[in-house]
Amino acid sequence: MPQFFSNKRLILLLVGVIVLVALIFFSLRDRDHANLPEQIVKDVVGFGQQLFSKPAHYITDLVDDVDSLLNTYEENQRLRKRLVEYAAVQAELSDVRNENKRLKDIVGKKDDLRDYEPIHASVLARNPDQWEEKIVIDRGETHGIKKNMAVMTADGLIGKVILTTPFTSTVQLLATQDPDYRVSALVTGKTEAFGLIEGYDTERRELILKRIDSAHEIKEGQKVISSGLGGIFPKGLLIGEITEVTTDDFGLTKQAHIKPAADFAMLEHVIVTKRTSTAVDGSDAGNTGEAMDKTADGGKDGDGS
Amino acid sequence: MIRLLIPLVAVVLFYVEPVFGLFSPIEVGGELRYLIPRFLIMFLIFVGVYYSRQRALVYAIIFGLLYDLFHIDIIGLYAFLYPAVCLLAIWAVKHIHKHIIVVTLITLLLVAVLETALYGFFTLIGFIGMPFGEFITTRLVPTMIANSVFLVLLGWVFKSLANRRSIQKREGML
Repeated sequence: MPQFFSNKRLILLLVGVIVLVALIFFSLRDRDHANLPEQIVKDVVGFGQQLFSKPAHYITDLVDDVDSLLNTYEENQRLRKRLVEYAAVQAELSDVRNENKRLKDIVGKKDDLRDYEPIHASVLARNPDQWEEKIVIDRGETHGIKKNMAVMTADGLIGKVILTTPFTSTVQLLATQDPDYRVSALVTGKTEAFGLIEGYDTERRELILKRIDSAHEIKEGQKVISSGLGGIFPKGLLIGEITEVTTDDFGLTKQAHIKPAADFAMLEHVIVTKRTSTAVDGSDAGNTGEAMDKTADGGKDGDGS
Repeated sequence: MIRLLIPLVAVVLFYVEPVFGLFSPIEVGGELRYLIPRFLIMFLIFVGVYYSRQRALVYAIIFGLLYDLFHIDIIGLYAFLYPAVCLLAIWAVKHIHKHIIVVTLITLLLVAVLETALYGFFTLIGFIGMPFGEFITTRLVPTMIANSVFLVLLGWVFKSLANRRSIQKREGML
């Protein structure tokens, strides 16, 4: 049997492997911002990707249209029933809105965590190997997108921006396994209970809301929205509905399983939310992780800051 | 014309992969099945076997790097795996047989190896905590089925394309 590699090639291969391993560790460590060559590649590849994604979206839209055309009659019937109800709700909503505005004027409160400016974007690509749940969208820094902004569809929150280049940005979906990925959330109801979305149950396809104060009473069926306390997300984006309430591993706080309102499977058009009130930089992405690291080895170096 | 065709097909496959990725995962039997398109690496293996090893490796490194930069954000992962898989395929084919059925089977086997290697890597760095059994049923099997359909449909096109280019090159040298 002839030799697979000659000696010279073997050395070359070894050097190559070492360089690549070094690169892998470099990029794993420094995943916060794209450097210049990365940005250029992303923008150029992203532009090319548009040429392929746009026709694909066009075709799927067409199929969807035909599909909904077939259901028109049934849907019309159902919607007509709800129309009466809708008018009443609409009237009430406008009344409540007016009152809310008046009250805000009285208090002199101008900023609201709920206000945001929507930036519409199309999905260019979904990470084809699908190990990390990431999508690339066709709006970037030039359109005002910044890291950590919330991304949603018409149904609800789907993820946040983790990387931006001038013309594209990468969005990490809520359905990720990344332990550093957290979203500050709020259970709506008579008493508001705060918690953090941490982790995703792949088997049940549900998000896990952790660290809810056990004094609060929460039930199945309650809606969960973003709290806006993370610093960059606006308040009030629908995340999902509670399906099960349990206590956490240590029995100190409650945790809940949440069925996401948005469907992560077929994503085409998304909305990036740019909060109008002041955004506090460095939300929960890196800082909590660092803080936890610090507390973990705080005993050694005693650096409290 | 054919000269440009091989890189062109590679670029098209590179861009088509994420478009197919948009349709995955699909729900079959109450569970999500992930179909991961691996068109480009299959094409590169064919190029390597039927045309030129050197060319295949160069394309593998370039497209691996682009894949890393655009999709994965871990530089060096695909840039290493693509050429490695190509090399393995060419080496295996050299020692077995160059018939298209053999090459197809080897290609599919190596796609499975690539998938498993990626599973191993992501488990190692702690991105995923998926049991191996679940990986086989929800990812590997559906991926292999989808990719074999693709390769059975288009494998002969890849082969004739690479063959023609290789003949053209030989004639050019004479």
